[in-house]
Amino acid sequence: MDASLLIAQFMSGLSRGMMLFLLASGLSLIFGVMNILNFAHASLWLVGAYLCYSFWYLLQDYAFGMWVSIALAALALAVIGWIVEVILIRRVYERDLPEQLLLTYAMVLIIGDLIKVVWGVEDKLIARPPLVEGPVFVFGMPFDSYFIFVILVGFGVAIGLWWFLQKTRYGHIVRAAVYSREMVSALGIPIPRIYTGVFVLGLFIAGLAGAVQAPVGSITLGMDMAIIIQAFCVVVIGGFGSLLGTLVGSIIVGEVYAFSILFWPQGALVLIFIVTAVVLIIRPWGLFGTPMRA
Amino acid sequence: MKKYGWLGLIFVSALLLPLLVGEFWIHVAVEILILGLFAVSFNMIFGYMGQLSFGHAAYYGVGAYATGLLMVKTSVPLPICLAASMIFAGLCALILGYFCVRLTGIYFAILTLAFGQLTYYIIFQWYSFTGGDDGLQGIIPPDLLFSANAYYYFTLIIVTGALFVMWLISKSPFGYTMQAIRENEERTRFIGINVRRYMLINFVIAGMFAGLAGGLWGPFNRSIAPDLCNWQQSGIPVFMTVIGGPLSFLGPMVGSVIYTFLMAFVTGFTEYWPLTIGLVIIFVVLYVPGGVLGLIAERVKVFRSKALEPAPDEYSDTGRS
Repeated sequence: MDASLLIAQFMSGLSRGMMLFLLASGLSLIFGVMNILNFAHASLWLVGAYLCYSFWYLLQDYAFGMWVSIALAALALAVIGWIVEVILIRRVYERDLPEQLLLTYAMVLIIGDLIKVVWGVEDKLIARPPLVEGPVFVFGMPFDSYFIFVILVGFGVAIGLWWFLQKTRYGHIVRAAVYSREMVSALGIPIPRIYTGVFVLGLFIAGLAGAVQAPVGSITLGMDMAIIIQAFCVVVIGGFGSLLGTLVGSIIVGEVYAFSILFWPQGALVLIFIVTAVVLIIRPWGLFGTPMRA
Repeated sequence: MKKYGWLGLIFVSALLLPLLVGEFWIHVAVEILILGLFAVSFNMIFGYMGQLSFGHAAYYGVGAYATGLLMVKTSVPLPICLAASMIFAGLCALILGYFCVRLTGIYFAILTLAFGQLTYYIIFQWYSFTGGDDGLQGIIPPDLLFSANAYYYFTLIIVTGALFVMWLISKSPFGYTMQAIRENEERTRFIGINVRRYMLINFVIAGMFAGLAGGLWGPFNRSIAPDLCNWQQSGIPVFMTVIGGPLSFLGPMVGSVIYTFLMAFVTGFTEYWPLTIGLVIIFVVLYVPGGVLGLIAERVKVFRSKALEPAPDEYSDTGRS
């Protein structure tokens, strides 16, 4: 086994991890702030992928249609997120965990069928955007340039979120809301509006993630079911509500998957769940999380 | 005693059911019984222990595979296969539950989910032993139970017996201890009860009965697949319990009747069953939080208080002053 294969596998794991990060960061943000575990996150992510397909289909005559489609898909999902939050999620803030989980699980079922109604059951294929179609050569080794693009988007979103949470006034309010809703509310800041904003932001990232995922393979029904549990694993490993944790958790899951494909293909997913279970048993609040509300 | 009279009436009508309906509805009835047993066993963890398991299908699936493999590869009689299902599912629940009962709330839910998916992928990938995603075909019940009606009566007897045993457990000091743990874990610990051990025993009992339900499924469906233990399957007892009502023993069974009947009915004319059940779940979560039985209990209470008590004095609400 030579080094170039290992490096190639590492890069593939990294891009897979970044893909998961794009999905899981919104999930983790929503859970950290709103204390709601959104089962439907990946279903909405899949809606983002399908929307990207539709926009691309309409704009395919234009040179940068694909880039525009990615942006439009993210924005459209932000709007959908706002509607879902106002109509449904808002009603269960005060409810118990099982009811919140069930509500978002029911959304998984509904969204899955709505996708079937709108886009049919055939797989959808999208061309890759210009500039990132072919391979790039790093030290003479070929890399899929789209993977590099995904990795850059992932780190870009990570840095953007970090900047938002650490350096802006709204970010400070959001972080304060993680620790004490009562205190933030007492300062005269409307908590419902913060929650809506966080949910919309989480879905904007999910839309971006779905659109970025779309050209990797074909878009198929049921993709959401497989990936949501892996996104949960990422969030659990990294720690709920921790941005750094989600980043590290994504890379761990991506790399574990990439390298077990090399050494023990059947065990790739098994291994991810073992890692998740071990983290939960030893450190339920995750590698970078803080033990907080039970 | 009136309550048990109702149960007797339901049991007698269940016995007479094959005289009234055709084979299709008998199959639906078997499904109601098996999934109802699965849901009632889930509710021992959810309703009585107060923890949400999102991986209960693992024990259902292990039970299904224990009976399925024994029936396909050996000639062990069915009752012994079902006993093996309970034992293997119970062993799995013992090993995995040992870790699960150390956590509560969201962490319990996610760890059970992770273990459920772990079980699913092991069965899915282990081609040489489980047949992988091809599943196991040709799980044929013995001649005596081959007809739909015979298998229905067999299932009815087993499920009724299992429900009776679980009901006895829920009414025993052990059952009340579980409810005490649900209400206040710390206080229960203070009175000298080993909370973790009690929770683990309960988890194992719930796993065993889920395994029994899984064991009954294979010969009924003639085949099994790894999907029987994935997280979507784990969602089914959660749905049934929430629809029926988690706070009464038979709530999940009522939920199973509603869920399975609705599924048989709706899939008759549309493929959009997930959409339908999704809307039902959202409606129940938002407007019927105690489930159907919870709603009935509340109405009965309101009715009785109206009938028996004098009209409430509007100034008696001293709590506010």
